[in-house]
Amino acid sequence: MSTTSTTPRSSALARGPLGRWRSLDLVTAAVLGVAFGVVFWGWDVVYNVLSPGFGFFQPAKGLLGGVWLLPAVVGALVVRRPGAALFTELVAASVEYLLGSGWSVGVLISGGLQGLGVEIAVALFAWRRWGAGVAALGGALAAALEALYEAFAYNDWVLGWDLAYGAAFVVSGAVVAGLGGAALVRALARAGALQRFPAGAEHRAAQRA
Amino acid sequence: MSVTDLVPPTATQDRTAAGGPPVRRCGPLSLLGASVLPVAGSLAVDTWRVGAVALAVQLLLLPLAVRGWRALLPRLVPVTIAAVSVGWSTWLLGGEADPVAAAVASVLRIAVLVLPGVVLLAWLDPSETGDHLAQRLHLPARAVVAATAALEQLSALAQAWDELSRARRARGLGPGRGPVSRVRWAASTAFGLLVEALRRAARMSVAMDARGFADAAGRSWALPARWALADTVLLVVGALLAAVPLVATALLG
Repeated sequence: MSTTSTTPRSSALARGPLGRWRSLDLVTAAVLGVAFGVVFWGWDVVYNVLSPGFGFFQPAKGLLGGVWLLPAVVGALVVRRPGAALFTELVAASVEYLLGSGWSVGVLISGGLQGLGVEIAVALFAWRRWGAGVAALGGALAAALEALYEAFAYNDWVLGWDLAYGAAFVVSGAVVAGLGGAALVRALARAGALQRFPAGAEHRAAQRA
Repeated sequence: MSVTDLVPPTATQDRTAAGGPPVRRCGPLSLLGASVLPVAGSLAVDTWRVGAVALAVQLLLLPLAVRGWRALLPRLVPVTIAAVSVGWSTWLLGGEADPVAAAVASVLRIAVLVLPGVVLLAWLDPSETGDHLAQRLHLPARAVVAATAALEQLSALAQAWDELSRARRARGLGPGRGPVSRVRWAASTAFGLLVEALRRAARMSVAMDARGFADAAGRSWALPARWALADTVLLVVGALLAAVPLVATALLG
């Protein structure tokens, strides 16, 4: 994409003290979570249709897993405050639970772990870097935590298959959730939907440059 | 007709008014607690015997908790798919000496993990849960209010999905037959949904700030969040359910 070269190297940050969420930040993260919950509802169907296709190589299912981590990455990159990833992902997981997921309350645990994974990545950079690289790291960490949880709570596989599944999930987390999430936020900024957020400011700066 | 006749019943009144199983007296926090505790217990299900015992104990308690048997059946479909798919993958990848027994153990383990959550979900109301999370657990009030306000938008956003997809079809942007075309179509409709969500959030936050949402001191809540004896009982039952697989493992070996 041509815009990436003109994007300023340092990320635009949220206004004011990072811990002071505006109402707009809170409501946006929550509504994004609900919207992703609606999307999950559809993705559940796709996932169930596609997963037998992985037949005798079940661990490759991990490649589809990145989609579940998108709310955490997108919530973090839009709001850019501590807790945004965890909050957005937990709201999305609550919607999934309320609509009747096959894993029942398990999705709330997954949502917490996935949000935490992205949260750790952005915290490592002191909530000051919000580029695609940090997003990919966040997606990878979230996928690793989720794969660990699934290995303990859901799957009864030999260790090698658990590791293969985890590796596929981490790749999907980094690419689909991380790079995909970052691209999604840039596209939302281009569509003019993030005018009052740092990502919108980055887009305007890139256009001026 | 008095004024109170015009006010729709609260979630709590809805739950407790009509007759029904004893769980109707329990609030959202004990419902969530009793749903999550058995997840920890399910980790101890290693053999099909232990799984069968744990599931049998849950099934025996079912009449005390089911809100409506007819409503429960469709909720069991997705969890059955999940449990069977895990069982199948255990049979394939478990590397056990007896793959069938291992697969059955997996299916039972997932059943033990999900069943309390599926049954108790029928009693859970999102707004009431928010009230209790903020007042009893003292989670950050603004975050709780924002989350419950957003959950109220769930049906509106689901409807927005329908409108978006119909509008796109009308413009000749419907999906083709192939799976790739369908996924691409769903992805671009999802993008439209996110734009709509962001617009909606901007409008909501302005409306909420106009009512003093940003810096209210001494925030008031719609309803008090009480902790009843029934809540304590349910939580203890949840803990006991979590302990069943451990006890069964010790006894059955």
